[in-house]
Amino acid sequence: MRSKTIGSLCFDAGIYLFLTAMGLITLLPFANVLSKSVSEEWAITSGKVGIFPVGFQLDTMKFVVTSSQFLHSLLISVIVTLVGTLLSLLITAMTAYPLSKRELPGSGILIVMFIFTMMFSGGIIPNYLLIRQLGLINHLGSLILPALINVFNMLVIKSYFESLPESLEESAKLEGARNYTILFRIILPLSAPVLATIGLFYAVSFWNDYFNPMLYINSSNLKPLQLYLQDIVMNADSSSLNRSADDLMNVPAEGVRAATVIASTVPILLVYPFLQKYFIKGVLIGSVKG
Amino acid sequence: MYALLLPGLAFLLLFKYTPMYGILIAFQDFNIFGGIGGSDWVGLAQFEKLIHSSDFMNVLINTLVISLYKIVILFPIPVLIALLLNEVKRMFFKRTIQTVIYLPHFLSWVIISGSFITILSPAGGLVNEIIRSFGGHPVSFLTDNQFFRSVIVFTAGWKETGWNAIVFIAAIAGIEQEQYEAAAIDGAGRIRQMISITLPGILPTVVLMFILRIGSLLEAGTEQILTMYNPLVYQTGDVIGTYVYRLGLGQQDYSFSTAVGLFNSVVGFVLVLSGNMLSRKFLNRSIW
Repeated sequence: MRSKTIGSLCFDAGIYLFLTAMGLITLLPFANVLSKSVSEEWAITSGKVGIFPVGFQLDTMKFVVTSSQFLHSLLISVIVTLVGTLLSLLITAMTAYPLSKRELPGSGILIVMFIFTMMFSGGIIPNYLLIRQLGLINHLGSLILPALINVFNMLVIKSYFESLPESLEESAKLEGARNYTILFRIILPLSAPVLATIGLFYAVSFWNDYFNPMLYINSSNLKPLQLYLQDIVMNADSSSLNRSADDLMNVPAEGVRAATVIASTVPILLVYPFLQKYFIKGVLIGSVKG
Repeated sequence: MYALLLPGLAFLLLFKYTPMYGILIAFQDFNIFGGIGGSDWVGLAQFEKLIHSSDFMNVLINTLVISLYKIVILFPIPVLIALLLNEVKRMFFKRTIQTVIYLPHFLSWVIISGSFITILSPAGGLVNEIIRSFGGHPVSFLTDNQFFRSVIVFTAGWKETGWNAIVFIAAIAGIEQEQYEAAAIDGAGRIRQMISITLPGILPTVVLMFILRIGSLLEAGTEQILTMYNPLVYQTGDVIGTYVYRLGLGQQDYSFSTAVGLFNSVVGFVLVLSGNMLSRKFLNRSIW
């Protein structure tokens, strides 16, 4: 044990103070928005709401979560996230497995071809024109297909596969198992930790995706949650931009905006505590790779 | 084996390499009905226009300024957090702080922008109420060119600082404990240990992360800025990514904005390659 001197105590106090301040800075904005979502309208507009709610009502929240567009967008986001994550994990693992075999002819070139796309891309416009050409504008496929493989995630899974003992596959091969069977029956069940981590990363990026829907979706039928939220956020912002009186009529109140933000955050907050142990492990896997 | 590769390969060719072929329209006067085959070639005309465009120069400067602010101000903080967290011996406190500061990373920019627009609002926002209570005048942070960049840098830090500390925390975990014991016997205090053991221990990781960060110098936060800005702050807030989006999809100037995008990709590519070369030379470690 290190001895406790006065200097050491001051040092500790400083550290705790600094870190607590960091934690509070992170939490305060949430507290403020949460308070606004349940405070009385007059208190919000007169600037009385700080960290704690002033008055209490759930009407705004009820208005937001029962709005048909909100529910519809939520459904779209859930579908895109579920389908996208499962499909991504499957294709990413199927690609990573052959590439983890150095002796496979051509695997070296393919890895370079994948890595090249991490550093160089066609850019927004050629991507947009491609999606258009494929007839994917206003199609949920445009939110899933272009994001199927994230090269960084693929490399993490690949390096995990490389760390598995070779002998497992050899014995399966002797008993006549095909590559397909080896991957799905032996390798994948052994890779649960890395698949959980990468699955989480995929799920978060599908759930939070705002850029692709903004480019490729304009039908309100297919708007995911983030795009719907952006409409609310930007609309409310017009009050500070001197728009016409007509626009101002449609502006959702500050409370509605706060409630929409909170309602869209809740799904992440619900799963966050359960997933925390996985992502720390995942970052370690990714960084140890070196 | 190759059968397993088919979907991945199809993805690579269709969604990654086909758009690279689409870059050709930067050398054309692209016409959406004619496609690449039926549009006129104009050589480097789009790039000449780009060099002479005052809009583009403004956007380039904005990108560099915002990106450099983010590096100078936001890069050291995660290192500091990792160093300090390492000194905390109460596991409960440590875990709580980690849980809290990682959280914003998992929220989308839309949610975060929505929150900060609420907090910074001149009409009843928390920050302006505080300014008012001290007798100041409310500030319209998101529509004022004087403040917009600060808001961008601050919110970017708020979202990613905790998450960026993880890699340094992992690096600290890899330092051998014996070193600390030896230092303690030699009479080194905790601050001394932090400066002489922990910091040098994570220095290679710090340098590597710094090089990676420089590699994305032209990425000043397109998605973040798109969710926060408005025409009033284009002057200070419009960056290459948002400019390409506005010009290409807003005004359908496909060829010119592809040329801007290509400029962005090429410079970014050169930066990453030089970073990797430096890393190989000085750290003996390649990024891939």
